[in-house]
Amino acid sequence: MRAALAALVLAAWLAPAAAQETGFAVRDTGVKKEPFSDAQTVGTLAEKAQVKVLARQGGWMQVEAGTLSGWVRMLSIRMNSGQSSFASGLRSLFTVARTGSSGQTVTTGVRGLDKEDIQNAKPNPAELKKMAGYAVGQSDAERFAAENPQLKNQKIDYLPVPK
Amino acid sequence: MTRILAAVVLVALGAFPGSAPAQFNLNLNRLIDTGKNLRDAFKDVDEKQEAEIGAEYAAVLVGASPLLDNPGVARYVNRVGRWLSLHSERPGLNWQFGVLDTETVNAFSTPGGYVLISKGLLARLKNEAELAGVLSHEIAHVVKKHHLAALRKSKGMEAGSNLLSMYLEQGGQRSAAAKERLVGGMKEVMLRGLDKDDEFEADRMGVVIAARSGYDPFGLPSVVQMLQGLNPKDSALALMFETHPDPGSRLDALDRAMGTRLDKFASQPQAAERYASAIQAK
Repeated sequence: MRAALAALVLAAWLAPAAAQETGFAVRDTGVKKEPFSDAQTVGTLAEKAQVKVLARQGGWMQVEAGTLSGWVRMLSIRMNSGQSSFASGLRSLFTVARTGSSGQTVTTGVRGLDKEDIQNAKPNPAELKKMAGYAVGQSDAERFAAENPQLKNQKIDYLPVPK
Repeated sequence: MTRILAAVVLVALGAFPGSAPAQFNLNLNRLIDTGKNLRDAFKDVDEKQEAEIGAEYAAVLVGASPLLDNPGVARYVNRVGRWLSLHSERPGLNWQFGVLDTETVNAFSTPGGYVLISKGLLARLKNEAELAGVLSHEIAHVVKKHHLAALRKSKGMEAGSNLLSMYLEQGGQRSAAAKERLVGGMKEVMLRGLDKDDEFEADRMGVVIAARSGYDPFGLPSVVQMLQGLNPKDSALALMFETHPDPGSRLDALDRAMGTRLDKFASQPQAAERYASAIQAK
């Protein structure tokens, strides 16, 4: 039962989260057949054209606009704001994990850490000590990076300030 | 002049009734002496002082929201974060990562290497590359000491940096009043946010730190895109939206800065499955 629940949750997690998301092109953008710059161009999205976002891969987004579909550079797309409410998008995995019940959902307008909490906060050294207890050293981090999928070091300069 | 400063100090102390016993330990002469370098209070903060300030800052954050009671998730976030920190210019700091048990969508860092991400944000991320993007953005703030710059500019500190100097100079002897004042400045920065240009810089550095660490660098832009799709009026997002440039201008800036420069690293792992199973760990 627990394994089944975990599998269910995992499946929900890995499902394309962007299925319902919509956005628009910030400029005229070439639509590619595959997520590569040298892939075949199948059409052009005009600036401000609305798209449905289907998936993302690396720096590319799979989009659909009417009969046109294909891949565009993800940073050519901006999302329409306010389309997903806080509750609908939130995968309440933590809730599921804690209660073993999927009946509990997080409601919209949930009051999280807000200005008032910060204004009224008293330093909590005991909680800070707890945080220190979970810290890991360099060798632990390096072992983690060697696991699957392996994370490989790259030498890359910071990006220049755009003009 | 002396009298005016003393009056200011007394007023300041009056504002913090909780610190009553310390009032009598204040060395007014010393306070007035150090008051000369009001604006320079943070100029020469060394690494140890930076860590002390950061610990105090982080203690306020975990005082505002407790940590998520889940050692598995805490450990996982620390492994990812510590690995990323090794690819920054300050790998030797005492880096510590934590998850705040709140539905709010936000992440924070404090001087000296403290990084906190909310459970609400963690639950909205799709993979480890996105987590790496968020943590790298925060690591960049620490590396560039953006919080200290913001503290220097905060109103509370301008008026009270003489107290701040005392806080820094007296070590274990520091007064509770100075500490209260510093905490006030920190809260001001948390509520107002960092300098907007510093946020853009942290975005630019964040994508590179993630790529250096072997992740798909588009994790951070993907998170900012996700944020753009949310309803900014939601109370759980209010603080994050108020303290950061709007997602649209962050994406515009990332677009211009990244161009095609990091494309060849885009096929590096996103680690979606590891993320999904780690986040469910007990």
